[in-house]
Amino acid sequence: MAGGLSRLAARGIIALVAASVVVPILWTLLSGFKNRVDIVTPTPMLFFTPTLDNFLYVLERESVRAGLINSIIVSGCSVLIGAAFALPLAYAVARYPMRFANDIQFFVLSLRFLPPVAIAIPLIVIWLDVGLYDTRIALIATYSLLTLATTIWLAIPAFKRVPNEIEEAAFVDGYGPYAIFFLIALPIAWKSLIGAIVFSFVLVWNEFLIALMLTTSDAKTLPVVASEMTQLGRDVPWGILNASVILLSLPPLPFLGVLSSFLNSALKTRNQG
Amino acid sequence: MKIRTSLPIVFTVPTMAVLAILAFVPTIDAINIALQNRELSNPDSVYVGFANFRALVDDPRFLNSVRLSIEWELLTVIATMAAVIPLAVLMFETTPPNVRNALCVLFIVPALLPRVSAAFVWRFAFHPLFGLAVYPLKLITGHPVDLLAEPHTAMHAVAVVDVWQWGLLFSVVIVKLLETLPPQLLEAARLDHAQTWEVYAYVALPMLRGALISLVFVKMIESLRAFDLIYVMTRGGPGITTETLDMYAFSQGFIESGRISYASSMAVLMIATTVAFTILWRRVRRWQEV
Repeated sequence: MAGGLSRLAARGIIALVAASVVVPILWTLLSGFKNRVDIVTPTPMLFFTPTLDNFLYVLERESVRAGLINSIIVSGCSVLIGAAFALPLAYAVARYPMRFANDIQFFVLSLRFLPPVAIAIPLIVIWLDVGLYDTRIALIATYSLLTLATTIWLAIPAFKRVPNEIEEAAFVDGYGPYAIFFLIALPIAWKSLIGAIVFSFVLVWNEFLIALMLTTSDAKTLPVVASEMTQLGRDVPWGILNASVILLSLPPLPFLGVLSSFLNSALKTRNQG
Repeated sequence: MKIRTSLPIVFTVPTMAVLAILAFVPTIDAINIALQNRELSNPDSVYVGFANFRALVDDPRFLNSVRLSIEWELLTVIATMAAVIPLAVLMFETTPPNVRNALCVLFIVPALLPRVSAAFVWRFAFHPLFGLAVYPLKLITGHPVDLLAEPHTAMHAVAVVDVWQWGLLFSVVIVKLLETLPPQLLEAARLDHAQTWEVYAYVALPMLRGALISLVFVKMIESLRAFDLIYVMTRGGPGITTETLDMYAFSQGFIESGRISYASSMAVLMIATTVAFTILWRRVRRWQEV
């Protein structure tokens, strides 16, 4: 080993990268508590009198509340629909020898990768024609494609990790195939499955482009509302913007732990199996 | 379990039916609309064959957006992989496990942020007058620098954010994969007096070749959908210097003119590209397994 110096340099680089994550986010958070005069300064200000006005202003806006409600309903429903349809399929693909298993997985994967702008453009026309444009139902149906594809993709390996012997033992004990799925496989794989479902939630909660194109007023989700605020004119209310971005980013963060351990277990078995 | 059961059918058919409807209705309709001359303001339309596709070839703004998309694709894929592999090796090599685990959690945070938020956080950090990230630049050069308003730097500045979100997540994935390698192998290479970089270049990374190739394909496909970042950070500007294909399709179909058929023809091209990438990936993966 070239010794302490290169090790020190390596740690310096890693510390810099870590700072690139912490500092900008923290700066946005701090600026959410600043008055405009403390943001628009030639030298960045670290010490200032904090204010809650920005957050209160954002939370009191009608558009933000409507966006929040839309986001919760739309992500909640599409995640539930996705899970209800995805988990059985994933289990069947993982456990039963099927002629088309590979093709199904490949089809699902390619759906997951469809460019959102490309499906949103025809969907504008479709939803306009059936009179459902700018409704939550249209968004839920569209997002269900995303949650379905993502949940299937992640749940197949999760079911494969359930030890086969346990299911066989249950079979010997007289459990039927459906009982094995509901009473054995689901509870055992539950921890990983939650990871998959959370992943699909974060995906639709953060989704922006489809929501932007499929809503104009009634069904706008939070990212669309937030982005409209960031596009305000020249005399930008930076404090309010920072506050709204922080509020938008909060809901996915509690799942950091779940996703991190999901990633861990998925990658660990991937290489050993 | 060798019993006859209805489970595979009951569990697959409904889900596949829902998936097929949700997926094929918009994609087939994209083709259908692309062959018409429909506009958002006017629902009457007739079929015009391939006129939209022919018009694309003569549209300088479209050609510009294709060129920019290819540039964006190369820039972000290469920059991500080039930054991430050394970073992951450094993390694996020099940090004790508890620090490494903490870093791995931290590095997932950017990917967890809504892209709208990530884009805004950095637009704020790049602000010429009071942005934190450009503050050192301002001190050195003595005058404000607006990276997002300069035609030469705008795309690179947006690419930084893309690499920040995806690259750090990838580095976590690679670190976790390195951890699954049998340590004896790396030890053996060291005993043969291999330099540290040689251990990785010739032993560790080749063992992860399949996973690394998958990451490249994931990034290639994800880079096709950079819309959110570009929309919030530059809106395709300055001028049209960051107007990638998805941005242009959006503005044609939605804001500027509502030329939904014209935009649809671009959508069809994008779907075809994505499918091509996915098929290529599948081929490469199969070839890997042989």
